[in-house]
Amino acid sequence: MLARPALPSFDYVRANTPDEVVRLLQEHGQGARLLMGGTDLFVRMRDGVIRPQIVVDVKHLPGMRSIEYDEVTGLTVGAAVTMNQLARHPQVQTHYPLLAEAANSVASYQVRNRATLGGNLCNASPAADTAPAVLVLEGRLVLHSSQGEREVAARDFFTGPGQTAMRENEFLKAVRLPPLPAVSAGKYLKLGRNKVGDLSIVGVAVFAFPDGTVPSGYVFRIGLASVAPVPLRAWEAEEVLATHSPGEESFALAAEKAMEAATPIDDVRASAAYRKAMVRALTRRVLGSVWEVLE
Amino acid sequence: MAELTSNPVGKNTPRVDAYEKVTGTAIFTDDLQFGPGLYYGRLVRSPHAHALIKSIDISKALEVPGVKAVVTGQDFDTRIGLYLVDRPVFAKDRVRYVGDPVAGVVATSEDIAEEAAQLVEVEYEELPAVFDPVEAAQPDAPLLHPDLGEYKVANFIFPEPGTNISEHFRLRKGDVEVAWPRCAAIVEDTFRLPHIQHVPLEPHVAVALWEPSGQVTLWTSSQSPFAQRDLIAQSMGIPHGNLRVISPYVGGGFGGKAGVSMEVYAVAMARAVKGHPVKLRMTREEEFIGTTVRQALVAHTKIGCDAEGNLLAMETEYYFSGGAYNDYGVNIVRAAGYSCTGPYYIPNVKGDSYCVYTNLPIGSAMRGFGMPEIHWGIEQIMDQLAEKIGMDPAEFRRRNCVKTGDIILTGMKMPAIDLVACIDKVTKAVNWDERRGKARPRPSAPHKKRGKGIAIMWKAPAMPPNPGSSALVRFNEDATVNVEIGAQELGQGAFTVVAQIAAEALGVPYEWVRVSAPVDTKYSPYEWQTVASRITWSTGNAVKAAAEDARRQILALVAEHWDEDPANLDIKDGIVISYKSEREQPLKDMVIYGLPNENFEGWKGGPIVGHGKFMPTYVTNLDFETGQGPRAVVHYTVGAQAVDLEVDTETGQVEVLKIASAYDVGKAINPDLVLAQIEGGAVHGMSSAFEALKFDERGRPLNPNLVDYRIATAADAPRQIHGDIVETPLEDGPWGARGVGEHVMVQTAPAIANAIYNAIGVRFNDLPLSAEKIFMALQ
Repeated sequence: MLARPALPSFDYVRANTPDEVVRLLQEHGQGARLLMGGTDLFVRMRDGVIRPQIVVDVKHLPGMRSIEYDEVTGLTVGAAVTMNQLARHPQVQTHYPLLAEAANSVASYQVRNRATLGGNLCNASPAADTAPAVLVLEGRLVLHSSQGEREVAARDFFTGPGQTAMRENEFLKAVRLPPLPAVSAGKYLKLGRNKVGDLSIVGVAVFAFPDGTVPSGYVFRIGLASVAPVPLRAWEAEEVLATHSPGEESFALAAEKAMEAATPIDDVRASAAYRKAMVRALTRRVLGSVWEVLE
Repeated sequence: MAELTSNPVGKNTPRVDAYEKVTGTAIFTDDLQFGPGLYYGRLVRSPHAHALIKSIDISKALEVPGVKAVVTGQDFDTRIGLYLVDRPVFAKDRVRYVGDPVAGVVATSEDIAEEAAQLVEVEYEELPAVFDPVEAAQPDAPLLHPDLGEYKVANFIFPEPGTNISEHFRLRKGDVEVAWPRCAAIVEDTFRLPHIQHVPLEPHVAVALWEPSGQVTLWTSSQSPFAQRDLIAQSMGIPHGNLRVISPYVGGGFGGKAGVSMEVYAVAMARAVKGHPVKLRMTREEEFIGTTVRQALVAHTKIGCDAEGNLLAMETEYYFSGGAYNDYGVNIVRAAGYSCTGPYYIPNVKGDSYCVYTNLPIGSAMRGFGMPEIHWGIEQIMDQLAEKIGMDPAEFRRRNCVKTGDIILTGMKMPAIDLVACIDKVTKAVNWDERRGKARPRPSAPHKKRGKGIAIMWKAPAMPPNPGSSALVRFNEDATVNVEIGAQELGQGAFTVVAQIAAEALGVPYEWVRVSAPVDTKYSPYEWQTVASRITWSTGNAVKAAAEDARRQILALVAEHWDEDPANLDIKDGIVISYKSEREQPLKDMVIYGLPNENFEGWKGGPIVGHGKFMPTYVTNLDFETGQGPRAVVHYTVGAQAVDLEVDTETGQVEVLKIASAYDVGKAINPDLVLAQIEGGAVHGMSSAFEALKFDERGRPLNPNLVDYRIATAADAPRQIHGDIVETPLEDGPWGARGVGEHVMVQTAPAIANAIYNAIGVRFNDLPLSAEKIFMALQ
């Protein structure tokens, strides 16, 4: 009924190679869990939701904690890069400020010292604060298995609450973001019950840039958190902004469409009705502030 | 050497515990080391809100390696409680809330105890449960305590056996029926407050050792070491002299560590493994349901005034949801009854205050002790009445608030206070005149609305008539001082204030005084409890008396030595001086060794020990039918708060820009500590306005954790917290001081609600004021 006083006992293994991780996953199946920051894993273990026999620490694998930027290929973030590492990385701040902003909105500073980008995505909570940013930045997730590596687009990664496109015996090594247009703007707005440290009741990320091939002259991408079984893109809302010139009227219409895309639930944090209304309010607000930068 | 502070009363002396707490060296209960013999306890809790216990099978739990004992209600034929002895040590034949402990498992580690606790098999037969206090008070409601008539009860508490009503306080003054037709404006409404939890930084923890000799020691994080000794001794059949309670620093209490809650389980489990200390500590989740909560309230209140704005009549019914056991809660309800008007003079009053058993966690003391609950409705009605007759709400309060010498609702004469001064200060601090018309400041964004609100309060220490304090003052060879008290340092600064009082009364520098800790019932002088905002006043009086006793002894000795009149002597900065002969005698050495006669032909004096005590002797019982009596309480502390805020109309979010508070503390022994209370109270008051403990339809808690129970953090705190101190001396307070620890959050929620109304024109009768609720009301 209530959480245990402490974690139940488990075996801890620090993996040194990707192959070792895959082997342990094959050996233990559901009995094995991968550890990066532990900010979700340990909480779920203490709550009694899961009880792995073996916890495999993957954050020491090569590249898991590195951030690399290249003008041509873009940004590669190791899965075990922490939120604080990401938020204060100069190149992330310069080239992907939206990602830095999203990372900085997660929980509290102390938690962000441990919580990782990969963990936030793999946990696949509908409320994951970095997910809308990764969705609108069109990130790709690098998955490792015995068959080698494959990439999955973020938009295809989330399949349900806590569910992802990761296959058994597969794990996340890195997140790749393509290089961004020379002119762009992005913003993440989250609504919590208080100012710091809350889970999102609603999270809205918008990323936009000029594009002559689009009727409106601008591409707007909208990502939503905490309002559906998975973090999602508000495609119809984006379509509105591809065909209507940017401004209060089209933003209101797009916000309406974003609200329609949301299928939230009632829970102790908020009702579905409030969440839907907040998708509309926040979307309009974020579109407005992103447009202020671009205009 | 650092500068020494003479005459420290009224000065901002640094806290005596600052260094320890800032550096992390202060010792709390869980820090204490007990060696390899230490066992751990875990509790088995009921999953049902109301059920009969058909059987308990502990055999599987006992088989777990490392398990040393499992105890259940069958092992104890006794109950425990402060005012109403209604709580079994472990649930015996029935459980009354989700979380009610049915068994305790003792093992060599906490983990093993937890594993084994999950193997205790309890068979239940579910009973209909009741959660709403109004429903629970009805004659046909499921009965929680069929044996209520058999419970031992204090002589000023009146349970109604055969019902769920554990206390009914009646207040009758004047004739409301005659008054209603004379009212030009009447407001009648129902207000609801949910359960909230104290959320102390340090969760409850207790370690008990039952020695084979029969000596029992309890180490505990407690506001009430002496009350725990008394209640646990009575309940467990331990001679008082054999039970020793030791309580190091407390990491926040707010009333949640008053009386006895989980500590008795540690003692009960220790009895089963004599010779081994047993540690029981609450997880944060257990803290929410396994200790105590603030009672929920449903208030039906009707108040009327004449066209000039004079209050004429009030009729009110308070239904407190007392939870499963009301051993402490009954007195909160009594306090709400005898203070039911709030800080107003109203000539005609009919009040009924009910404590009602409900199948929810145990309602007990929490900062404000019934006052935040009743002020929530009263303070909104006062605003509505003022609006109806076209008067400024601050002016309406100035006109009607209690004043010195008023014969208040119980028939008691109001001791000296100045609530009007408090109102003046807070209205000035928020530029009150800007709340209407053109003067109104522009909000920070077009979708925001700005508003200001005010609320005032009163609160008396709610206690038995005769709670005592005592103190000892002893010296070291260098004339530094040890003050011994049984009052507890909860973070409020009690030890600092006590040191200031002792230094001032003795005539030694503040820096010479140490307060002996931890509180230990074997060595510390008696103290009833660290509750009711009574320590500065009551313990302060005892310490002052002890210091004056020591001072008298010193002056008598030196006067004899110098052959002078003690009336001509004084102690300044640790030196006895004569105003007549201008001789000087440092306290050093003489306070231990005395003074030698001429040519060392013998000695006089000896170690100086000052004794002091304080107990109010003048509080009377109140009439059962009318609540009338000469002296209901020792005194009241009063105060006002004004709030300036913005409401985001697109999200319903409230941003509190400023909270201004002013309290009449009689005398601020340490103004910085008063302001610290004002600051903490404002933030705590915000938490009480914006959050609630929630339950599903079967009484199961939905948010017993800090993920979903959101208290205000530093980031949520108002941008400005303004504090003003009013000093109208209290007749029997040390230098006139009265308490202020609880008062600082009593009226924060209605002040916020009144400001929200000023901003958006919507009233909210039910807490919490969630953003969602405000947004939905605007649609």
